[in-house]
Amino acid sequence: MKGEKNLIYNNIHFKADPYSYDLSFEDRITLVGGDSATGKTVLYELLEDVKQTNEYNAIKLFNYKTDDICDAVTKCRNNFIVIDNADILIDDEIRRFINFEFSNQYMLFLRNCDGLNVSDKSFKVLKLENNIISLKEEI
Amino acid sequence: MIDIYTVKKNDPDWIIKNDLFFNLNTGNEELSERDTEIIKEIDDAELKDDKRIQTKYGLGTIRNLSSGCKTLLNIIKHPEKVVCVEECGPNVLKYIFSMDNIKIYMSRPTLTDISEDTQFRFNDNEIVTGSAGYNEWWSREYERREKLDI
Repeated sequence: MKGEKNLIYNNIHFKADPYSYDLSFEDRITLVGGDSATGKTVLYELLEDVKQTNEYNAIKLFNYKTDDICDAVTKCRNNFIVIDNADILIDDEIRRFINFEFSNQYMLFLRNCDGLNVSDKSFKVLKLENNIISLKEEI
Repeated sequence: MIDIYTVKKNDPDWIIKNDLFFNLNTGNEELSERDTEIIKEIDDAELKDDKRIQTKYGLGTIRNLSSGCKTLLNIIKHPEKVVCVEECGPNVLKYIFSMDNIKIYMSRPTLTDISEDTQFRFNDNEIVTGSAGYNEWWSREYERREKLDI
């Protein structure tokens, strides 16, 4: 589709004992939902370290502690943007930015997809199986 | 009766950022046996005497509880507040909808189990009962929003 580009990361893989994270992405926008306490914020906190590595230095993280989140997010280009607490943080302006700023990829810990150009491959939940944590399709 | 508000209000009696409110307030309050059981049930976390927690991800503090669990504890410890439940998964909402005399904010419905005798009052106005009443109210609300294009 015109204006679209390849994903920043098709896969993010790292180890955080006793678990391995193997996160595969199929869409420019990934919404991680599901039950509470499935490890979304734990993942966010791990990514704070993972993003310090050369391989994953395109990751940008935002949560309720971020000052002026709209300004901070809309400055991002060619980044893998992760937003925790997204249900209470992202407004219409950020949703529009996510829809139309194709240079970025987005992983949003979000349940309300209103106003976002998502596909059926966007909806994921975190699953733990055999000590591997991955993103599975949300049913 | 569960009071549901569907329009966000900037009010000191409303809790929107549940993590923040919990970390600064609820998490510093004394927790009951029931609170400890909830922490175990929702987050599968063992609460220690010094407010550290042991989960499958390792050792942490009470600040590392899930946003859903923090929201639930904010509601329990501060029933006078209107608490935003938009970050709660179905497992926590199911628990919230089994409570009484609480006030919550949600701008859209989430599918979860609702007992047939649970009473909801929407926006200090209309009272409905059970999952049928809840679903009907939201259907009408979405029709209204569509007409107004909001």
